[in-house]
Amino acid sequence: MTCANFEELDNMNANWEVFTTYWPFLVPLIILELGLMLAAVIQVLRHPHYRIGNRAFWLVIVIFIQIIGPIAYFVFGREDQQ
Amino acid sequence: MSILTLQHVSKSFGSKHVLRDLNLTVPTGSIYGFVGENGAGKTTTMKLILGLDRADSGDIEVAGEQVRFGETATNRQTGYLPDVPAFYGYMTATEYLRMCGQLTGLRGTALASRVTAMLKRVGLASASHRIGGFSRGMRQRLGIAQALLTMPKLLICDEPTSALDPQGRTEFLDLLASLRGQTTILFSTHILSDVERICDHVGILHQGRLQVSASLADLKQQYAKPQVRLTFETAVQAKQAATLLMPLQHHNHVQQVTQSAGEVAVAYAGIYAAAADRILTALLAVRLVPLTFSQEEANLDQIFMEVVQ
Amino acid sequence: MTAAVIFTKKEWLESWRTHRFLILTVVFLIFGILSPLMAKLLPALLKGGLGGVKIAVPTPTSLDSWTQYYKNMTQMGIYVFALMLGGYVSQEIQQGTLVNLVTKGLPRWSVIIGKAFVGLLLWFWCVGSAFVMTWAYTAYYFPDTRSPHVVLAFVPLVIFGFFFLSVLVLGSILASNNYGGLLFTVVVVALLYMARMVKGWQHFNPISLISDNMKILVGADALTKLWPAMVTAVVLALGLFWAAIKVLDQKKL
Repeated sequence: MTCANFEELDNMNANWEVFTTYWPFLVPLIILELGLMLAAVIQVLRHPHYRIGNRAFWLVIVIFIQIIGPIAYFVFGREDQQ
Repeated sequence: MSILTLQHVSKSFGSKHVLRDLNLTVPTGSIYGFVGENGAGKTTTMKLILGLDRADSGDIEVAGEQVRFGETATNRQTGYLPDVPAFYGYMTATEYLRMCGQLTGLRGTALASRVTAMLKRVGLASASHRIGGFSRGMRQRLGIAQALLTMPKLLICDEPTSALDPQGRTEFLDLLASLRGQTTILFSTHILSDVERICDHVGILHQGRLQVSASLADLKQQYAKPQVRLTFETAVQAKQAATLLMPLQHHNHVQQVTQSAGEVAVAYAGIYAAAADRILTALLAVRLVPLTFSQEEANLDQIFMEVVQ
Repeated sequence: MTAAVIFTKKEWLESWRTHRFLILTVVFLIFGILSPLMAKLLPALLKGGLGGVKIAVPTPTSLDSWTQYYKNMTQMGIYVFALMLGGYVSQEIQQGTLVNLVTKGLPRWSVIIGKAFVGLLLWFWCVGSAFVMTWAYTAYYFPDTRSPHVVLAFVPLVIFGFFFLSVLVLGSILASNNYGGLLFTVVVVALLYMARMVKGWQHFNPISLISDNMKILVGADALTKLWPAMVTAVVLALGLFWAAIKVLDQKKL
């Protein structure tokens, strides 16, 4: 095994350690973030019109940028229906 | 009796005078067609009547009560359908009408039955989804439902037919016509045929003033004369015909001759046969034969053009 | 008064159906959980960042957790709130949705009252649910006695929200578009932060309500020093709401 692989393994172990220690924080956080993301994704898919941007753009934003992405969509992207 | 009077109403936006000393009286029970080109000030007039905008000067009375900007007292008497009615897209039609009804003081079963009746009347009884998904025509129908919800003495509609397709227009005009006798209707439009179909009174707004206000019958009698319309193959021939007919003006039935391109219009008075005889005799004497020769009754378009000139 | 109740109901329905309520709740809950987590992780991150160099990093306490909470609320929370309510009034005027209601007899002042009431409920719900989250985690993970006045420290934050909301509503009604109201709010808050430089004004500056929370947390008498700021904030807020009503009265709909 090369040195890099050791480091990777080490990182993975560290990540796992972080998770086992902090899961009471992480589990609800992940659920909330996923919920927000899902809500935004459903909205993006349901409404074909956007104030700015297009569907692909907003899907990327909403899925890959946690918290800020969905908020940005709800504030700037969602078209208000009268 | 008149349900609505405007006296010496003026309104300007910046340096643009939209209304100059406008006087308007709408008789109770009439269907009043408020006609004018786009931008003539029809919407502004309506907003002033509803107290949504402030007049620079002048008095407005609805059912004998003075209208004040920003206050809603006189709105109890009126129902208003804006040109593009705006709703809350997240409500259903029933929820929206219920809210409107509550605002006017309706409660309980009276409210419920009124809302159901109105939805049925405008053909939205089965529309259970949210207003956000409504088509233009459906919104217009919901608009008329909310305007009629309180059974107002005066119904004000701003260009209600301009956004609708021909079928929607017919339906809408029928609906308005069915209200004759129940409520007074002031409705603005630039589509003159709509006015001719249902209105009994007409006002023509031009350059910020009401140029004409009368019953449709009076107006026709006063302004428009029946016409004979002739078309010729070339403009030269038409011009020739016009010069030939000009001397006949103002005597012997022929009233007025106008020519544009290949067309000549001759306004006449009295009996058609006599007028047609004079015209044809004159033309045939020099062997000038028209392509078409037709008689036209007085219509609002003519009157409008005449007034607006 | 019934008209105001009807409009308030409509406001509530709007917040619910447009998911404004839901989004704000989720975001603030995340802030609430994030605060103690950040307090917990900060020493570890500091250690890692220094690449093994041994320095004395103090063990985090409940104070660190609450510091994070007030940071999150005042540096992120209020702006998310402002973003979600940016077009609160301007949109109604722009889109003409008030026309039908006003011509049905809805007095214009009840628009402001309804919006203020629902806005305040939203604010209280948002900071409150984040507060409960942080409190629960802090009590479990940092069971120390360093933060005795948890609830007292929270009170000024709620009062500041009332003031903040009045700025937002007035800004939204003055501006002709959705973001103008937001800009107005940001400018006002920035000005208040700048006014903190003036020594004599500090006790009256509403911004103290969101900057002195930690002092109250450890010593209750810090709250009594904030009385002038609380009174100022409430009086200013009432004045701004009154101004908003006057401005709306003059608006062409």
